[in-house]
Parts: sequence; C-alpha cells; structure tokens
Amino acid sequence: MSSKAYLVSPTRRRRRRFGLASKQAAFGYAIILPTLAILAVFRFYPMVEAFYLSLTQYDLVHPPKFIGLANFIDLLHDPLFLKSARVSIAYVVFSVVPVIPLSLGLAVLFNRNLLFKNILRSAVFMPVVMPAVVMAVVWTFMYQQDGVVNTLLDMLGIAPIPWLRSSASALWAVILIGIWRATPYYMVIFLAGLQAIPADYYDAAKIDGANAWETFWHITLPLLKPTMLLVVVMNVIVALKVFAVPMIMTGGGPADSTRVLPLFIYQTAFEFFDMGRAAAMSVFLFVGVMLFSFIQVRIFSRGEELR
Amino acid sequence: MTNSAEQVAALPMKPKTRPGGWARRALKRRATIVIFGVLAAVACVTLLPFYWMFSSSLRTMDNMFAIPIQWIPHPLNWMSYANAWQAQDFARYFFNSAVVAVAITLGNLLLCSLAGYSLTKFHYRGRGLLFLLILSTMMLPLEITMVPLFLIIKQLDWANSYQGLIVPFLVDGFGVFLMRQYMLSIPKDLIDSARIDGASELRIFWMIIMPLCKPALVALAVFTFREAWDMYIWPLIIITKDSQRTLPLGISLFMSSYGTSWDQLMAIAVLGTLPMILLFFFLQRAFIQGIAATGLKE
Repeated sequence: MSSKAYLVSPTRRRRRRFGLASKQAAFGYAIILPTLAILAVFRFYPMVEAFYLSLTQYDLVHPPKFIGLANFIDLLHDPLFLKSARVSIAYVVFSVVPVIPLSLGLAVLFNRNLLFKNILRSAVFMPVVMPAVVMAVVWTFMYQQDGVVNTLLDMLGIAPIPWLRSSASALWAVILIGIWRATPYYMVIFLAGLQAIPADYYDAAKIDGANAWETFWHITLPLLKPTMLLVVVMNVIVALKVFAVPMIMTGGGPADSTRVLPLFIYQTAFEFFDMGRAAAMSVFLFVGVMLFSFIQVRIFSRGEELR
Repeated sequence: MTNSAEQVAALPMKPKTRPGGWARRALKRRATIVIFGVLAAVACVTLLPFYWMFSSSLRTMDNMFAIPIQWIPHPLNWMSYANAWQAQDFARYFFNSAVVAVAITLGNLLLCSLAGYSLTKFHYRGRGLLFLLILSTMMLPLEITMVPLFLIIKQLDWANSYQGLIVPFLVDGFGVFLMRQYMLSIPKDLIDSARIDGASELRIFWMIIMPLCKPALVALAVFTFREAWDMYIWPLIIITKDSQRTLPLGISLFMSSYGTSWDQLMAIAVLGTLPMILLFFFLQRAFIQGIAATGLKE
C-alpha cells in the first residue's frame, strides 16, 4: 500500500535528471563506492599488475625491466618450480579427495537425533577454532620423533614414522593436518545443505519403502549437488593457497617435498627479491585456480544434463 | 535410555501392526550406538591436539616425551606461562592482533552492509555487473596478488603500520555476498514507508536496515574476526618491526628461536587460541552460521 501511495505522484519526476529515483540511485552508488574503491586498489589493480610484473625482471632496487615471456619460459624449465607445482597439485588432490566423503559422512551422521549431539558436534568442530599458526606449532610438537603421535601409533603396534624429518612423509604429515582442519569446516556447510532438504522427500521415500542407503543415494546426494560443487571449489582454492602450515612446520623441506606454490612464491619474492619471477608463478597459480574451478563446474554441470 | 523408554511406551499402542518391529527397532538402536561410537572416536581425534597442547603447557620439560604417556602432567609446571610471556613482547603482539582484527571486523560490518544494501534495494545501471565483480574477488586469493599488493603498500609507505594490515581487508567479497543474500528478504515497503515519513536515506540504513540484519551481522563479525586473527602471510610480508608484529608472527618467531622449549611454546599456543575458544563458546550459533553461509548459493 505505502509503496503504491509513493508511486502515484512522483512517477513523472522519476524521469527527470534529478528526480527522486535518480537521487536514490545516486545514494545507491555512493554507498557501494568505498567497497569498489578498496577492491579496485587492493584486489583488481594488483591482479593486473601481477600480469605486468610477470613480464619483467624486478629486484626492488633497479626499475622493472621488460623481458617478455622469459620468466614463464624459465619457470617451465626450472626443476624446482615444476617440483613445487607437483607438490601443490598433490596437496590439493590428496587433501580435497578425502575431505569430501569425510565431511559429508559426518554431516549425515549428525543430521539425526543423537545422544549428546550438541556436545559431540562442538567437539568435532573444534579444529576450525584453532588458529592456523597455533595448529602448525602444536602439530610440529606432536609429530616429533618421540612425540604423542608416534607414541600412540606404537600402542597400536605401528613403527614410529619420522613425520617431518623425511621427504617421504613430510607432505603426508602436512596433508593430514589439512584434512583435520578442513573436514569439520565443510561438515558445517554440508549440514546446512542437508537441513535445507525438505522432509517431504524423505517421507515420500519412506512410503515407497526405500532403505537408508537408497534414500541417501537417490535423494540426498542429488539434492546436495550444488552444495557439493561449492565445497569442492572452495576446498580446492583453500588447498591451493595453503601457506602457514608448511612454512612453519617445514619451511618447504625436507628436500623441497613440502614447498607448495604459495611458499615458493613467497620465498622467490621476499627472500630472493625476484619480483618478476614470483609474479609469473602467481599467474600460474591463478591459472591453476581458474582451471580447477572450471573443470569442476563442467563435471558437475555435465551430470546435470544427464539426469 | 530414551529409546528403550519409548519402546516400552509404544508397546501397547501398536502390538502387531508391523511384524519384525522389535527386530527393526533393536537394529536401529544398535545403529544409533554405532554412530555414537564413531562420532565419539572422531571427537577424540579432533580434541586430542587441544588436550595435548594444554596438558603439555603444564608439563615439565623432563616429562615432555615421557613413556608411558603421561596423560595428566605431574608435577605441574605453571611457570611455562610466565616464562613464555616474558620471552618476547607478547602483550604487544596480542594488542596489535586485537587492534587489527577489531578494525577489520568493524570495517567489514559497515562496508559489506552498505554494499549489500546498495545491491538489493537500489536500482541503477550496472548493478548486476558490480555484484559479479565483487563476487569474483572470492576467487582471487591473496597468495596470487601478494607481490604487487606488497609493492603498493610499500609505495604508500604503509609497511610496518596498522593501515597496511587493515585497509586492504576492510571489505571482502564474501561479506558483501552474505549481507546481500540476507537483505534480499527485507521487504522494500518498509524502506518506502520510512521515506514517506521523511527519514533520510542514511537514517533508514542505520535505524531500520542495520537492526534488522543483526543475525547476519553477528555471523559476519565472528567469521571476519576469526579470519583476521588467523592472518599470517600478509603480516609476515609487510611487518619487520617487532613493535608491529601480530600474534601469529610472534608465535612463529618464538617457534624458530625457542624451538625446543615445548612447554613455553604450548603455553603461548594456548593463549593464542583462547580468544577463539571464548568466541566460539559465547557465539557458537553465529560462529557456525558464518561458516554455513559460505555454502550459500544463489
């Protein structure tokens, strides 16, 4: 009612340059301006600048020198970079793949009535609460040769593992922590997705005599697909940018086995002051983020067409 | 407990309607117990590092790697906290982290709401495009843009300053998205009638829109604060002065210089986690809602 009343008289004025509507539009522009300004200066411009820098040689002392694609060609022939890219891909694959079924499984288990449900859920959620740097410090301690992880393994009759000391196990140690932290995070998102599924669907399935497994496979999973896509994409991006844990726990070692791309970019830029090369690596990382996301969207949308 | 009580209560109600009801219910109860067991085991895995961090902060160095495992430290070593606190200027690091995290949180609350309000309740050319542009920043992790961003901060002479730590993060694509999604549900009539009553646009935003968004604001605040408290790579790049270090920097520095004083390291780790634990216990719903909201889709 009130909106109608308002519309009656000023309709004509709306078309005028400084009419009510354009005044409001101006206010609309004005309040989004600070956001746009900050994003333009601190997100978009650096992105463009990263592309430019990647074509230069720049050591912070001398002015940037344009060298074309030399950084990229160089990187593709640099065994250290290729190794770092492989480590990053391994980290992404082996931390994302287990997290999806684990977090979804936990969400499904929590999506029902249970004794002490709230306490259990809070307990499982706790890794999200621990700051990344603290996590790195605590797990470094736990991963010591005679630390608690090996002691517990010993109780189970498993020989001690030289977690962070060996290039064979260091990446796995880092991946395990990534899983430890990411699983509860995505469990929360899956839980929200599960709770958004109308109960009618389940009631209908029950009437049709579907068992728990059939219900999950034919109702829950298809309806959860958008959530699933989001979780995979987010998870991949988070995994691609992992930094604090390898930086603090191993510094990239031993034998470069945990030097993920962000860590290598950091070292190239801020330890060797090779800004151009670091920017070129960033471009590769950017392409990686885009490629992974694109592939996932394609995979999921293809499934959509099939159904 | 409740299950068997329910069973007894339900018994006379439907005696023989479903053959096998007993067996099925017994199975169901067993499933519940199994699920409870699985979740309890998972909880042990998620809680162990917390317990080990806390208990080791009170363990003496002699007992640090004692075998058999000393679950309850004895004798207690309270000095670890005092020693760690004095080893570096942790009071200062805490203060810096708090200033930065609070400033970033307040900035996001204001700017994300303003942007969300603009994107939902005003009509202007290019609105959809702006929204997409803002959303796209969620795909641009700092790790990709950090090199040029560092150069910008250097040019502004903001290295080693609060501005350098705060301003680039005053607004965030996810925050705008969250506020926009929430504000979509606010009826436009409400705004129009306030306009008729002669309220100014800013007043409408502040007195009507913001109070209505309280749940979303609390969730956004907790989410942003957690991220800001966690921030590591950015301060590592632009902070070199000790007096400007944030807590994560202080902890990692402590780790590299006192790498084997595990009792002190764990003490500092406990103190660094405490604000997050408090936040979680007092604002649990908001804490979880903020994360659940990252799974929102259009």
